[in-house]
Order: sequence, then C-alpha cells, then structure tokens
Amino acid sequence: MMIAITFVISIGSFYLLHLLPGDPASVILGLGNTPAARAALYHQLGLDKPIYEQYFIWIGHVLSGHLGNSFITHTSVLSTIRAALPIDLELIGLSQILAFAVAIPTAMRSARKPDGVLDRILGAGSFTLLSVPPFIVIVLLVLLLSIKLGIPNTGPASYVTLSTNWIANLESLALPAFTLAIGSFVVYYRVLRSDLISTLQEEFITMARSKGLSQRRIMWIHAFRPSSVALCGAAGVNIGGLLAGGFVVQYLLQIPGLGYTLISAINSSDYLLVQDIVLVVSVGVVFVNFLFDFTVNLIDPRISRE
Amino acid sequence: MSETDRLLVVEDLSTTFTTPSGRLPAVSHISLSLDQNETLGIVGESGSGKTVLARTIMGLQPRTNVEVTGSVLLNGHQMVGVSEAEKRNYWGTDVAMVFQDPMTSLNPVMRVGRQIDEALRVRMNMPKDAARARAIELLELVGIPSPERRYRAYPGQLSGGMRQRVVIATALACSPQLLIADEPTTGLDVTIQAQILNLIDELKERLHMSVVLITHDLGVVATRTSRIIVMYAGRVVETGSTRDVFHRMRMPYTRALLESSPKVTSPSHTRLHAIPGRPPNLVNLPPGCSFAPRCASATQRCHEERPELEVDSTPGHAFACWNPLPIRPERVA
Amino acid sequence: MSSALDEVLTEVQTDKRGPLGPLFWVCVGWLGLNVFGAIFANILPLHDPLFGNYNAISQGPSARYWLGTDDLGRDIFSRIVYGSRISIAVGTGAMVIGFGVGAPLGMLAAYRRGRFDSILTSFMYILLAFPAIVAVIAVLSFWTPRSMFKIIVVIGLASIPLVYRVIRTATMAVATKDYIIAAKVQGATDRRILMKELLPNIAPIGISFLLIGVATVVTLEGALAFLGLSVNPPTPSWGNMINEARTVLAQNPWLVFFPSLALCLFLLCLNFIGDRLRSHYDVTETKL
Repeated sequence: MMIAITFVISIGSFYLLHLLPGDPASVILGLGNTPAARAALYHQLGLDKPIYEQYFIWIGHVLSGHLGNSFITHTSVLSTIRAALPIDLELIGLSQILAFAVAIPTAMRSARKPDGVLDRILGAGSFTLLSVPPFIVIVLLVLLLSIKLGIPNTGPASYVTLSTNWIANLESLALPAFTLAIGSFVVYYRVLRSDLISTLQEEFITMARSKGLSQRRIMWIHAFRPSSVALCGAAGVNIGGLLAGGFVVQYLLQIPGLGYTLISAINSSDYLLVQDIVLVVSVGVVFVNFLFDFTVNLIDPRISRE
Repeated sequence: MSETDRLLVVEDLSTTFTTPSGRLPAVSHISLSLDQNETLGIVGESGSGKTVLARTIMGLQPRTNVEVTGSVLLNGHQMVGVSEAEKRNYWGTDVAMVFQDPMTSLNPVMRVGRQIDEALRVRMNMPKDAARARAIELLELVGIPSPERRYRAYPGQLSGGMRQRVVIATALACSPQLLIADEPTTGLDVTIQAQILNLIDELKERLHMSVVLITHDLGVVATRTSRIIVMYAGRVVETGSTRDVFHRMRMPYTRALLESSPKVTSPSHTRLHAIPGRPPNLVNLPPGCSFAPRCASATQRCHEERPELEVDSTPGHAFACWNPLPIRPERVA
Repeated sequence: MSSALDEVLTEVQTDKRGPLGPLFWVCVGWLGLNVFGAIFANILPLHDPLFGNYNAISQGPSARYWLGTDDLGRDIFSRIVYGSRISIAVGTGAMVIGFGVGAPLGMLAAYRRGRFDSILTSFMYILLAFPAIVAVIAVLSFWTPRSMFKIIVVIGLASIPLVYRVIRTATMAVATKDYIIAAKVQGATDRRILMKELLPNIAPIGISFLLIGVATVVTLEGALAFLGLSVNPPTPSWGNMINEARTVLAQNPWLVFFPSLALCLFLLCLNFIGDRLRSHYDVTETKL
C-alpha cells in the first residue's frame, strides 16, 4: 500500500512541477536567451522528450541513486539532500522529545484532577498557545532575546553540525526546536488529557481501584496504555506535518534543513531540486504515518483484530 | 457479638450526588449487617440505588460531587469519611467486588493472567513466579479449562462467561472475606447465568467467604441467600431472612417484583406482569411512600406520609408500608 | 462509576447542556467586529493605509494614530483593519471552496458506500498523503503574478481532501446508527434522510471544523507572507505587516506587536468558538 502511494506521489510531484508556468531554460541561459539556444539546451537536458518519457528517465535515475546535478547550483542533488536531511531529523527529534517530556506528565496530572488549578491553567494556556502561529512565536522570541538579552541572530553560518561541536549545535537548534515543540506540546497535551479522562471513566479502572492498586500504578500501567493509542495517532499526523511544515521556522532562522533548501530552490527556480525534495518529503510523511499506524497496532491488539 | 466482631456493619448510610438538576439522594439512610459465612441479597429495579449502595459500602464512589454520611464498618475499620489511601488498604484483601459487565471491567489491552496476579505482586509482594502459579490455580478454581494457556489471553479472546470467571478470579486473588457481586450475571446468556451463580456459591463454601449478591431478579436470590434487602428509590422497603420475605411478603412492591420475573414453569405465552409506571425522579421525590404512585394497594395515607421501616410480628423481618399485604398461611415451598 | 450513576439518573438526565458561556459571546463579538471592519473599511473614518506621512515615521500610539505609525509613516491601525480583509477573505474563501466541494462529497460517499466511496476515498487519501503545504508553496511561487484570488483558489483546492475525510468520518459515525437504518426501512428517500437526519447531526462537528479550518488557513496566509508568497506590498495583510516589521524590530516593536496581536486574537476567538461548539454538542463527553 505504501509503495502504491509513493508511486503516485512521485508522479504527482513530477507532473505538478511541469504544470507550472516558468521555464528552466530561460533561467539558466539568462541573457543569452534566444530561441535557438533554448532549443539546444532543451535537447541537451532532455526536456524536449515527451512528458512520460521524461518521467521514467527521472524515476530511473532516482531509484538508482542518480539524482543528477541541479541546473542552478551544479552540485549533486543527492549530496544537497543528504546534507540537509539530518538537520531536519535532528530538529524534529529535539522538538518532539521536548514536547513529549512536558506533555505526558502534565496531561497525566490534569487528567487525575480535572478542573483543578493545574488543569485550568494548562487548559487556558495551551489554548492560547494554539492560537499563536510559529512564525509569530519566533519573531517575538527573537525580539525578546536579541533586544533584552543581546543574543545575536543566527544564520546559516552559525549552524554547527553535531560532529563538530555538539554544544554549539544544540544552541543553534534550541530556538527552532523550542518553537516547534510548543505547537506539538499543545496537541499532545490536549489529546492525551482528553483520552485519559475518558479512559479513567471506564469500568476497568474502577475494578483496578477495587484491587487496592495505587493511583500511580493505575495511571501509568492501566490508563496510559489505551490512551497512548490516540497519542500515537496524533504524533504520526503531527510529525508528518512537521516534516512538511517546519519550513517557515527553518527559513526564518536560516537553519539549512530541507525546508530552507526547498524554499531557496523555489526562489531560484531550481526545478530539479524542488522536485526531488518534494519527493523525499512526501515519502517521509507517508513513511512516518505508516510507522505510527504500525506502533498503534502493537499497543492495542484490539485494533488489528477488528 | 460486639460490633467490631461482625464482618460488615452499615449504619444510616446515605449517598447524595450533586447534579446539574439538583441534589440526588441515591441511597437514603440504609442500615444492614453481615456476618462471616452469610450471604445477603440486595434486590431492586434499575434506578433503585443498589449499585450505588454497593460501591459506597466498598468506598468506591466517585470523589467529586458526592456526599456520603453514615458509617460503614468493615472488620471494624471505618470506610466513610476516610482518605482513599486508607480505604485502599482493605480493597482486595478484606473486600472485593465483582462487576456487572465483564467486557468493560477487564483492561482490554492487558493479558488476563497479568490482571489476576497484579494484586498479588503489588499488594502482597509475591515474586513473579509464585504469583503466576497462584493465578493459574485461581483460573482453575473458577472453572476455566487449560488455565496455563488462558493465562496469556486477552479479555477480547474469551467468551462472556469465561470473562466473568476471570473477573471473579481477580477478585479472589488476595482471599477477601467479603465478596460483593454487583449483578454478576446480567448481560450473560441465560445458561451461563446459572453457571456463574453456582460458581459463586461453591466458592463461598470453599473459601468461607461472605457474599453480597446484588440483582434485580428475585428468583436469583431465592435459593442462594440467607437474608434479603429489597430496595426502592434508594431506601430499604423490606428486609428479613429469605424465607420470611418470600413466604410472608408484606410490601406490595416485593410481590410486584416477584410477579414480574418470568417463570420457566408458567405456560407459554403467559403475559408478563410489568410493574406499571416508572421509577421516580430522585431529585424531586413526591411526599409519602415513593412507590405509592405505582402501587395497586395504595391508600390515601400512602401518598401523604412516608412509612418507616418497622419490624412486624416476625423478628428480623421489617418492612415499610402503611397497607401491607396480609400474611398468608404457610405455603409449602 | 458512570454506569452506577446512569442507573440512578434515569429520570434526571435532562437535555440541558450547559450554556455556551459569556466568553463565547465575547469571542463572537470580536469576530463580528473584525468582519464588520473588513467589510466596511472603505466607509469608516480611517487614515489611508497606503499613505505615508513622512513627518510621523515610526511613532508609538497617539491620539491621531491610534496604534502608531510604521517606518513609512503609514497608520498601523488602518492598515490592520484593511489587512483583516485579506485574512478574512482568504480564510473564508478557501473554506468555502474546501467545504463546498469536500463536504457534500464526503457525506455522499459515507452514505452511499460502495464503489463510488471506495474509489473516491482512495483517491482522496492519496491526495492527503501528499504534503499540502509543499504543493501550495510550490504552486504559489511559480504561478505569478500573484493575486488574492489565486491564493484563495490554491489553498481552497488543497483543503478539499482533508474536509472530505473529516466530513466522511463524521457522517459514517452517524449513518451507521440505528435510527438511520430505521428511517430507511420506513421508506424515507435518501434525500430526506440526508437533509433531515444526517445533516443536523453532522452540522455541529462540521461547523466546528469549519471554524478551525478558517483559523488554519489564516495562519497559513501568515506563513506564506513570511515566505513572500502572500499578497504583494503595499497592500497590507497581517502576515506581511509582521514580516516587514522584522527588519525594524529593535526600532519599532509596535510594528510587530499590533498586527501579531490582531492575528492572534482573531485566531484565538475562532479556535475558542470552534472548540466550544464541539464540546457543547458532543454528547459523549460526560461530565460528572
């Protein structure tokens, strides 16, 4: 199933790019843009072949690992993606760890005492956070940090890879990871809290109580597991969305992940790069969703039996 | 026998819920007691408050919007007005509960065996292997075939009757002295119902437990209990030894209950006697006897004044009625 | 304990759902105000949003310029009011497209099932697997010159599969209920069932999702503005106002603050109303 989807997506992204107005040849040739030169370039790049032939050539290249060289930057697309992808993964990973680490204990607490002080504060707070888009968060945080505390703005030069200096690496990713974590936290907190509250009303929780088990045990061992199903589902959707939607954050803070690279590629009309990145991202999203569906089945055997 | 020697003493227990529509007295001023090796039956329609009573006795009522007054002494330990942590000490070890619907009372994503030995491992600090062995013993005790295999099963993989047996096994894990069975057979097939009830009887004998059997079916308690309480609208309307209540039924409601359960022996296509009307709205109870609006023998007084529970000629047999049924001469059972 | 309480509550269970609350109506009022401002901006006594008074650059709030001026001397307040037009138009326009197409299809597919449903749903799910944001960004960057109309169309189309899925799921939950089957057996026509039985039950969820959808689209417009993909300056939109303000962050924090506040309040109200409606009509969310 996953393969079929991926296949269709590849067709989709390829076709999409070709539907768009805009002419790679003009961009490349720049001032020397004469009809003759254009035709020659087209032939050289294989762009004069029929669409489906171009598609197959492209797919063939992709599958055999030859992603070709970007028309614009003349560097290998593969190496560009390979450099950018781990950054995305690290960013997403950090933000999710942060989000879960805060969301799970707080949701458990809130579910135990619904409408208590903590619950109300978190409820209102998370709701407010929900309404503040990430780009505003960043702008405000940057405002706060640079003006009040004098921390300078980060740029692509300031991003340091893990292997070089892991402290600087974490520092440079701290702001974007935190921003992304906020949105994820809100989602996870609400989903988990709501599911926990309804799970806690189930009869088997009362039965567990009647066995004399401690509150702690009931929450973590009995209530959490059925509720984590919804959490996994939400995580799958959320992370999938982050793969695609973390672009703005990357772009604003100039973290050279896939998002940043994609935007730059679009801005410079680098069609091949755009195409390939879109493919990678889409496949990634599909893969993540698939992974989470699989995990959900592990947790709750009922679902696979239905 | 002093009060602290009796297994269970409930005095003037009331449970009131605060709902958006007002205060709801689900249980009003109920007193009862139970000794070792006794079986008490609590009978009433849906809405009579019997489940609320059972849970309040055990202390399992919800923590918010509930008010409980009165006293519940379990083995001399007070269960009303104490913290959850205190009550927890006795849950499982002194008293245990069997719930109505085995599908919802077992954790669906946890293996059955683990649910049984959980209490043993956590509360009695039994090592894993010993607990597992005991759990398998318990599975056998409740009549589940191939207990070692079933130990690893999930609740969804078992039939309704087997699930209920698992629930019973779970309740018995720490050898409680009192077992409260809240409608343990409602929702099961008729043939299974008898099996489960017989199982409870057997276990009661073997393990020297006392049992509180809650049901809406008078027929069920007829042969399995030594004493009965009949509840209506949160109050006791008739109580006494099973024999007395059945043979010298005084409260018209009790009679109506008995007549409304279909009997196997009646000829086919016999019309069912339904009790006319519906259970009252507990938030706005009318004055007088709560059953009066539906009672065939209601008098003017019944609608105006609420009858108190009084003992009649037979000691131990009490009822609350202004116009009780006449005492019939002893019939051969 | 819920079943025990249910037992006792047989008569007491009322249809009384709690009131929506004063905060709810405050939010409705605020949204109404925004919409009013957007529609009637032309006839309201506002400063010209495009006119830059070079004598009053980067001023803070004053009696004349309520929220201050930006770095080109333009009145922030009126720019915010005019900017709301973009956000509201994009939000509602895109959702009209999304719901206009996605909702009926979703309802129909869920109700009819069969081959129509299988084919359509598989198609939609494949579309859903494709990250919409990427497509929107790609299309909008290459499809020049940009106009608000194009933005609305692109986002609207991109939202169709999601709307389809949500409405279809909601309809399926209701359509399998016994009373629908009962109505069918009684010979009600499909059309009648759709209109009288299904629609009223799906409406709350649908409306709630609609509002949240508008909020999402408005946020998206903001994000697009940051990528330079929203309406072109000097037309004000909340998104590009904030974006432009980034460069003068230190000198004129008001420039960032006020449009951000306008945007966030708008989103907050939308989310709140949507959430409130959902929990108000969701009967399964019992509160003891």
